[in-house]
This record gives sequence, C-alpha cells and structure tokens, in this order.
Amino acid sequence: MSDKFKSRLNVASLFLLFGLLFLFNRYGSGYQIRILNNIGVFITLAVSYNLINGVCGLLHLGPNGFIAIGAYTSALLSMTPAEKQLNFILGQVIWPLSVIHVPFVVSLIAAGIAAAFFAFLISFPVLRVRGDYLAIVTLGFGEVVRVLCNAGERVTNGPLGLKGLYPHTNLWWSWGVATLAVVVIQRLIDSNYGLAMKAIREDEDAARAMGVNPFRSLMLAFLISAFFSGIAGGLLAHLITTISPALFTFFLTFNLLIMIVVGGLGSTTGAIIGAVLFSWGGEALRIVEQPMEIGSFTIPGIPGMRMVIFSLVLMLVILFARKGIMGRNELSWDYLESKFARFRGAKTPQ
Amino acid sequence: MSATLFLQQIINGISLGSLYALIAIGYTMVYGILRLINFAHGDLLMVAAYAAIYEISLFSLPWFFAFPLAIIATGAVGILLDRVAYRPLRQAPRISLLISAIGASFLMENLALVLIGGVPKPFPRPHFFSRVIEVGNLHILVLTIYSPVITLLLVMGLLYIVFKTRAGKAMRAASLDFEATRLMGINLDRIIALTFLLGSSLAAAGGIMWAMKYPQINPFMGVLPGLKAFIAAVIGGIGNIVGAVLGGFLLGLCEILIVALLPNLAEYRDAFAFLILIGVLLFRPTGIMGEPLT
Amino acid sequence: MNPFFQMRHVTRRFGGLEAVGDFSITLERGELVGLIGPNGAGKTTTFNMMTGMLRPTAGDIIWKGENITRLPPHLITAKGIARTFQNIKLFSDMSVVENIMVSCHYSIDSSFLAAMLGLPKHKREEKRIREHSLKCLEEAGLAHLASERAQNLPYGLQRKLEIVRAIATRPGMLLLDEPVAGMNPTEKIELSAFIRRIREKSGITILLIEHDMKFVMNICQRIRVMNYGRSIAEGTPDEISSNPEVISAYLGDTPHAQD
Repeated sequence: MSDKFKSRLNVASLFLLFGLLFLFNRYGSGYQIRILNNIGVFITLAVSYNLINGVCGLLHLGPNGFIAIGAYTSALLSMTPAEKQLNFILGQVIWPLSVIHVPFVVSLIAAGIAAAFFAFLISFPVLRVRGDYLAIVTLGFGEVVRVLCNAGERVTNGPLGLKGLYPHTNLWWSWGVATLAVVVIQRLIDSNYGLAMKAIREDEDAARAMGVNPFRSLMLAFLISAFFSGIAGGLLAHLITTISPALFTFFLTFNLLIMIVVGGLGSTTGAIIGAVLFSWGGEALRIVEQPMEIGSFTIPGIPGMRMVIFSLVLMLVILFARKGIMGRNELSWDYLESKFARFRGAKTPQ
Repeated sequence: MSATLFLQQIINGISLGSLYALIAIGYTMVYGILRLINFAHGDLLMVAAYAAIYEISLFSLPWFFAFPLAIIATGAVGILLDRVAYRPLRQAPRISLLISAIGASFLMENLALVLIGGVPKPFPRPHFFSRVIEVGNLHILVLTIYSPVITLLLVMGLLYIVFKTRAGKAMRAASLDFEATRLMGINLDRIIALTFLLGSSLAAAGGIMWAMKYPQINPFMGVLPGLKAFIAAVIGGIGNIVGAVLGGFLLGLCEILIVALLPNLAEYRDAFAFLILIGVLLFRPTGIMGEPLT
Repeated sequence: MNPFFQMRHVTRRFGGLEAVGDFSITLERGELVGLIGPNGAGKTTTFNMMTGMLRPTAGDIIWKGENITRLPPHLITAKGIARTFQNIKLFSDMSVVENIMVSCHYSIDSSFLAAMLGLPKHKREEKRIREHSLKCLEEAGLAHLASERAQNLPYGLQRKLEIVRAIATRPGMLLLDEPVAGMNPTEKIELSAFIRRIREKSGITILLIEHDMKFVMNICQRIRVMNYGRSIAEGTPDEISSNPEVISAYLGDTPHAQD
C-alpha cells in the first residue's frame, strides 16, 4: 500500500469521524454527547500518558498534577472577573488573575504551557532517578500539586474549587484536540526521537553508548506529555464546569494507568482503546452503583463497586495478560491490508 | 512557645514517629528482597483496624485477645497478598509488579468500601490505653507513651529474628543476592512469605495503635500513613530495617514540629513529607543508612 | 606527536577494592590491540571508564587531544568512541534496522518539532537515516533480517549486530568486549574476517577484550595483559605467549583456543 494511498485513507477516516461527531452533535442526547466528550478528553490524556509510561518505559505516577495545573490555569484565565468575584468568597483572588480574562483557546494553550513549564522544573529531580524512585517522586509531585491547590486559597479558591465555568468544551474541541494529540504524538514516536525513547526503555546503558542523551530525550517526552495533559485538563474543566482539588487525586492517575495497561502499554492504539473502554465503561458501570429495578425487585446500588471491578480488571490483566489488548502493536492500514488479503486468500484455494 | 508545649510536641512527634516506624519496616523489608514498593502495605493498617473492631463487636473478644488476633490475621492477609498479586510476577518486568501493587491496593480499599461501607466507624480505645498522665503542666495520654515503647520492643524482637535465626539469615541473604540464595537451596517463596508475615504484623500493630490514636476508621485510612511510612523508609535508606525505624521517628518528629513551629503552614502538613522525600531523593537518594552514591 | 588515544595512570577504586590501578595505555590511529587477562582483572572496568560509564578515581583519559575523563557516555560516543558489551545489550524488542537507526540519533539535524509536524525536511532525514542503516546491514550481510526483531536473531548474529550498531555511530575507535564469547569456531572465523574487513574499509582503531587466545593472537597487532587491575605485560602476540608472567597469571592455562 503506497504512502499516498494511506494518507488518503487517513483523511477519509477523519472525515468519517467528524461526520459522525456532527451527527451526534445534532441529533444525539445530552447524555451521549457528554460521554463522547469524556471519551475525547480521555483519549488525549491516555495517549500522552502512554508516551511516558509505555514508550519511554518510566512509571510516572503524577499526571494528575499536570492535569490539575492545566485545569486551574485554563479556568482562572477564561473566567470573567465577575465570575471570579462570585467564586472567591473567602478572599479575593490575587492580581492579575482578578482582572485577566482571555478567550477559551488562549486559556487552553496557556494551560498546556503552564503544565509543560512545571514538567520542565521537576524533570531535574525526577529524571535523576529511575524505576521505583521515579514512581514515588512523581506520585509525590501529584500529591504536592493537589495539596497546594487546596491550600492556595487566594489563587485556586482552596477546597471550594471553581464553579460555574462556561461549558466551552464541545465535541469539536474534545475530539479535535484528541486527533491533534494522536497525530502529533504518534509522529514523534515514529520518528528517530521516538526510537531514542524506545531505546532508553529497552536498555538505557546501551542507548547512552549509542549516543542517546537520556535526559534530553526523556525531558522532551515529559514536556510534550505534560503539555497535552494540561490542555486536556482545561478541556475537562470546561466540560464538567466545576473543578476542585478533590478531582485531581491519585485516583485520576489510577484511571489513566488502567486505560493504558489494559489497552497495551506502549501502544497508542491501545491507549485509545483503553480510554474508550474505561470512559464509556465507567459511565455504563455507574448503573451498578445505582439501585436497579428488575420487575418488582429493587437491587440496591453498591457504591464503590465500579472501582472494585476496575481494580479486578487491572489485576487480571497484569497477572494473566500483561501485554494488554494491543501489546506494543499499533493498528495500521498495512496490518488491516494483510488481514484482508489473508481473508481473501483463504477463500480462493491455491 | 512555652517549654512545656514544646516538650509535649516532642513527645507527640516521637509517638507518631513510632507508628510510622512500624509501618516503614514492612516496606523496607519487602523492598530489600523483592525490590518492590508494596503499595498495598498501607492498607494493611485498615485491615488490622477493621479486624479488631469486628472481633470485639461480633465475637465479644476482650481487647487483649482481639488485638493480637487481628495482628495475626493481618499477617496472613499479607502472605495472601504476596501469593496472589506478587508471586506470579516474580519473573515479570518491575513495572508490572508496581502496577499489580497499585491494583491490589485499590482493590482492598474499594472492597472494604463495598463490604463495610464508607461511614467512619469509631474505634474502641480500651481503658488501659486511655489514662491520662499529668506531669507538671503536661497532659499525656498513656497511649502516646506506650506506642514508642511497644514499637521498640517489637523492633528488638524483629532484629533478633533477622540477625540471630537461620530464617533471618536467609532473609538477609535474599536481600543481598536473590538468585544466589535460591541456588543455595533455600526455598525463597517461604522466606518471602515470612518477610510479608513479619512486615504485615508490624504494620498491623501500628495500625491498631493508629486507630486508637485517631479513633475514626474508614476504608481509606491507610493511604496517607502508608505513603508517609514509605517516605520514612526511603529517608532511612530503603532496604535497611534500622534505617526504616530511624526514618519513621525522624519523619514523625519533623511533621509535628514543623506544624507546631509554623502553624500558618499547618494545611501543608501532608505536602511536607513529600517535599522531604524529594529533597532526600535529590541529595542523598540512598538515605541515612545507605551507602552514599559514588 | 599527539597520540590518538591515551589513558594516563588511571585508577578505579570501589570502596577499599582497587579494580584498576595505575593503568596507562596509548593507541595509535588504525591499530588493532588486544586487552587480555584472567577474569576479574579489570578489563571491562577499564572499558567502562573509557566510555564514561564509570569515572576514574584518579588519572586522565585523552582522546584526540581532548580530556574526556569526566564526560558522560553519550558525549564520548558523539566524539567518536563506540563499544559493544560483554553481555549482549541489543534493543531486544526493536527490529534489527531500528537498532542501527538509534545510532544515528545523536547526529540528527531536524528538530522534534519538525518531526511532530511532519515537515519534509524531517521526512528526508528519516529516509537518509534508514538508507544509511540498511547499507550498514548490507555490508555486514544482515540486510535480509532488517525487519526481524533483534531478540529473534541467532546468538552469533546478535553479537555481530551489536558490532554493526556500534560502527553506525561512525566512531574513530571501537571497543569490543568479548566479541566472540559463546561462538562456535566457524562463527569465530567469520567474525574475525568481518573485523578485518571493517579495518580495511575505514581504518578504524580497535581495542578488544577476549578470552579466546587463538582469536586474539590471530588478529591483534599488539596485546596488553592485565592482572589484578594492573598492567603486567605488553607486546606482540609471540612475545606475550612466551612471557612467563603472563603464563603464570593464567595459572597454567596454555594459550589455546577456549570454547
């Protein structure tokens, strides 16, 4: 299959995707649109997270911190001074946040940049270590961000959070950003830069010996991942229209971890599949936590059951199917072509 | 701040530190042999506390039966945890083990949530621990004094096992060279199970004392103490038992004193532990008892 | 004249243990030198110091007139010293050609931004890198395995691939750590010829560690012997094989082919 043909297929698929989104936007129910938005945002999150954990092989447990930074940055910049005044009842928000007010798109870009900036700062301590230490330091970072959000009342309104955000996020935003993230990140992974990251994952000493600078390569991945996580955080904020520090706990990290592990650690396609499964599944499983009526019986809802099921799924996957759904493979046009050809070949006996 | 208050805070710090020390030992022992951060370790606190409560309420056991029984039960849970979540992954890449640990932790917490409910339960504090001693202007709960004493006794018992018994020698060997120990004909699975038993029992003791100290227990009560105890283990030098004890006491003291001396920063209390962690990892990653990195 | 590569009085201690003591060596451009000695003599430690993986406790390492003692490994590679490893350290899950393409990373021109945006400049460079890598494989007779996973290759070819990967960094000096370990005699002869071909083509300087005496005597112009971290002899293969100190260091091992 020629490259040109593949490009045409890609463009056609994009048209199809956005055509579908248009239909849902027009004729879908509020519930369906909300789920689709959720899926879109989590695709961005999962794909950026997979860049670090899957492609680079680092156990980064602090994405919740970057998402929080993005969410708060975007919210604080896009809210009007009046809205901020309404929210900050304990004490007025600091200048210049009290007067600043920018268009949504600007707030998103700022969110990405803010998250990337913090990623830059912490990459110095974080990338000095590997393995479990890196896991704990990043976990600590995520926690510190959350605690700071809770305590910095003049900036973030503390535990009260920010309410009444304008619901800017629609299907075009969430899926547009998702598409951009997937395309851009996949291009990076397929490039020589991505090879350097994979080499670090496979054998860091050998990579060093072949001229790869691990700090540079990993910091690059870290910054890009944080950038998109920050933007997704901004999208999330303007989707659920209320944010508070309680939203950005390790729990959020855990959800992302499930998505990329079940999807296949190291595969972008896997991350997408994981995001779809668990965003959708998460919503769908909510019914387990609500009382259900079957005929004249009422089965009481069990709060927390969702997480039990998720944890079990994660455990089962990691114990028995460690590679997840896709392993490290991607779904590509070439792969589909070979499957199709085999199918055709099987029908015509040689 | 008056001298009395300061002394009170020192005592509080040592007491809190002793609990961190007990929990930290479990982390450090498992890490020493398996090179695994047992994320689910902190949740054993919760298991012990609930076990104790149910023994007392369902079976009307007096506390001096219920508490040791809960400790043994939690030790068994620790062994089960290894058997189910970690043993199948002995040959797997480290990241899989870490993920399994996180999954196990979440599973335990949410299973407890589903089975027991999220409403905090009050934990009984037996009269033995509830007396208040008055020394001058100081009012001290005896539990605050008993905790470090019990901790030290338990630690001495553990050190005896580790340094004076054959099983302990096997544990030390396994932490130095996993493969070689196996080649010496030692049943590693049993040694590892023993490690989990000891570490989990100590954590359980810490958990019960924690529950008496902060008598509202809930399924997620072990998360933050567990994390802090892990940080204590890193501060002391992960893999080193004495280091874990030192780190525990140090962290407890720091936490109490920082809040006492800088009350404006009380809300940042939990973040301090992480900041200390980041500091340690930056400047002396091998911890107090570890070899400085060349 | 400035020597090409020089180690001057290099010492490496681990706590109280002296792994390498007062070790000095000079290599001229284009030489093929062997570094031999019993196990634990400090040979791989010396390699690790040459490539920046370990820092000497004392002493200097000079490469083309520049003091590289404190440089990190990736910079030393960029300056022209490449190596293979005692235990194979290929990028197992990556394909054969991808293993080679990693070696081109340090000299890449286009930025990550160009990669992410899919700019033509980047695509051209990627094409160039792939072609260069395939050519390296061709010259080694491995081109037909380009898309194969590195870990699927037979052992002998994996060792060869490691060498090709190191050469792809365009080094001025190549350090080979036990290149024929575990190979059967046929494979050893083939690798011997391969190393000779490399030298003929590029005039590259080679320093190799080996235990197979027949291989070493056959291929090296000059041999340095280490024991307990120190140099004990240097000379031509004939001189070394009749040196009594060398023989006693190997405790009665006569220099014959070890399999």
